[in-house]
Amino acid sequence: MDPARPLGRPQIDVVAQLGVSTILLGGIYALIAVGLTLIFGIMRVVNFAHGEFLMLGMYLAFWAYTLLALDPWFVLFVSIPLFFGLGLVTYVLIMRGIIHASHNVQIFTTVGLSIALQNLALVLWSGDFHTVRPWHAGAPIRVAGTAFNLSQVVAFFIAIALTVALFAFMRWTHTGRVMRATAQDRDAAILMGIDTDRVYRITFALGIAAVGAAGVLVSPLYAIYPQAGLQFVLLSYVVVVLGGLGDMVGALIGSLIVAAVEVAGSYWFGTAWKEIFYFLLFIAVLVFRPAGLFGQRGAETLGA
Amino acid sequence: MLRRLSVAVTVAVMVATTGWLVAHGQTGEYKIGVLEPLTGPLAGEGKRHLEGYEIVRDMINARGGVMGKKLVFAVADAPDPTAAASEANRLITRESVKIITGTFSSRLCGAASEAAARHNVIYWETSCVDPRFNKRGLKNVFRTEIDATGFGWYNIEFIVKHLAPRFNLKPNQLKIAFISEDSSYGQGVTESALARAKELGLQVVAPVEYYNFQTINDMTPIIVKLKQLNPDVVHHIAYTNDAPLFWRQAREQNFLFKALVHAGATGYGGSDFGKATGKDGNGVFALLEPGPGFRLEALRPEGQKIEKEFRDAVQKRTGSYPFGAHQLAGGGLWLLKVVLDRAQSDDLDKFRSAVMSLDLPVGSMINGWGVKFSEDGQNSNERVQHYMLQWQNGQLVTVWPEEFTTNRAKWIPLGPWDARK
Repeated sequence: MDPARPLGRPQIDVVAQLGVSTILLGGIYALIAVGLTLIFGIMRVVNFAHGEFLMLGMYLAFWAYTLLALDPWFVLFVSIPLFFGLGLVTYVLIMRGIIHASHNVQIFTTVGLSIALQNLALVLWSGDFHTVRPWHAGAPIRVAGTAFNLSQVVAFFIAIALTVALFAFMRWTHTGRVMRATAQDRDAAILMGIDTDRVYRITFALGIAAVGAAGVLVSPLYAIYPQAGLQFVLLSYVVVVLGGLGDMVGALIGSLIVAAVEVAGSYWFGTAWKEIFYFLLFIAVLVFRPAGLFGQRGAETLGA
Repeated sequence: MLRRLSVAVTVAVMVATTGWLVAHGQTGEYKIGVLEPLTGPLAGEGKRHLEGYEIVRDMINARGGVMGKKLVFAVADAPDPTAAASEANRLITRESVKIITGTFSSRLCGAASEAAARHNVIYWETSCVDPRFNKRGLKNVFRTEIDATGFGWYNIEFIVKHLAPRFNLKPNQLKIAFISEDSSYGQGVTESALARAKELGLQVVAPVEYYNFQTINDMTPIIVKLKQLNPDVVHHIAYTNDAPLFWRQAREQNFLFKALVHAGATGYGGSDFGKATGKDGNGVFALLEPGPGFRLEALRPEGQKIEKEFRDAVQKRTGSYPFGAHQLAGGGLWLLKVVLDRAQSDDLDKFRSAVMSLDLPVGSMINGWGVKFSEDGQNSNERVQHYMLQWQNGQLVTVWPEEFTTNRAKWIPLGPWDARK
């Protein structure tokens, strides 16, 4: 929208389109961030390999589509138990050993895992870019001067559903309560007879299942290649910090804020500015509200 | 008697072996360093580039190698500029190479050649297009491919000489918008095209829209903005996944422009764009090395022979027509052989004077290239003939200059998105 021009139909359409783009892009970011915030919030582990599990989810969708002609929407149902299992295995083999170690050790280990997974993908499937093109990826929907893509709309609604489901699970189930208790005070939780190892195992597996599902859902929208995860992972840290560690609804709102900053910044100032804007926001939040915009004060130091 | 016979046999075997060796000209191996991004975001193109080298290396060895020795590679992985510099050092100090070639990317060639210069080792670049590469006063660097300035120049030539008349527009009536990824490659091509467009009086509708190809997740804001400015031509330099992303979202937004022009073997110029879009990619232009439709007869006899052999070898190994990365690597390595044949030495001064003395017309080599280097180590724009290719039903085919091809550009102007069949 050109501020010098009077507000007319084309300008309203532009604002509407930017709004729709923000919401849909925010949905994708939320989908990716929700698993990260879960692991971050409960286990206090920064999982730098998060993006690589996203990449593996994208490859799962690609191979299922290429070899078996399965639509990613169908693969979604298979991916959740599959990535839950992958999360369990990763926890038992790698994460369990470092859960009590210092943050430095955890960072080195997960960065190492990230690079190992990227290169594994490179060896197995080469560095070529792949794409999944189910019918819904090429189906633009036009409503009142705005246009968007069916795959993106579905990804958005699943992001909402996943956030709500995880929120409800954490709030109202026994396991959820146990998980929150462990996050708040690990030692007290052990004294109360909580099996913290089991809590961490389930948390990690749930987080990986969520990001695996995200990978499957974004596969029709973005190119699939070994470094595909890097495109989103830095961003999901911003989202998680903005929303407050471990806060599902905060992650959703944080995603929408990041997307809004990105879309509006790109439109009015140029795309080159978008990262400057949201990282300034990131730093501002860390300085002024370290628990995140919606997190409880002091939450960032819990369980440390 | 037996003794004499055995001496005679030994001598005969020795003579025969020497004769064979002389005939094949290979006594020992000559090793050069090859730097490529084999991991990281550029790995796909880096591997294809290496494949191009290997194919031409085998062609060279079938002809007796270089300086009478079999040509072999010491390959090193250079995913980023830091690795490029340290691996160049390692190749020189540990593998004792006197010549390094590579590196596919403009992100890598600066750092790698700087390291080679410190050791006075020859740096033979076959594909990076950063204009700064040979503007640093280094005597050891040579580049077979044109630089980004040349790409921008060719693109505007095509837009003004071929597209504008077919749109029934004069150059000063033509509206153009520039979008580009922000590496030195994208900036180099874009800035030179922009300068040339302004020189010729084209209407540039907005400042260049730069973005980072590794973090761009949504092109809609750019598209919405450009749609209001209604350009005839979109000049978009893309690197990887940003090309299919822009194309898909431009279609979603029903952004109607008359042509999109790109340059180089990345983005719209890479095979991945065709795989990602299929027939939906119809109409996109990319400035490249020659593709299908290229007329061998338009080359000189020696060029025809070597080009045909190269194409057949690539076809045999990959099952397809050579891609840009194959051609840049292949054309560049072949030219290195021609230089070494003349210099018969890897001593920098002798090598350099051999490079400078070469003067071959367009059509003499792989890709229809000619050779004439300037003092700064750059092969000239006019000799390194470039071609405009267009995506037509999932294939990139040569469409311009028309004397070099049997194909003709279609969908000019592009027309509605669903009507480009």
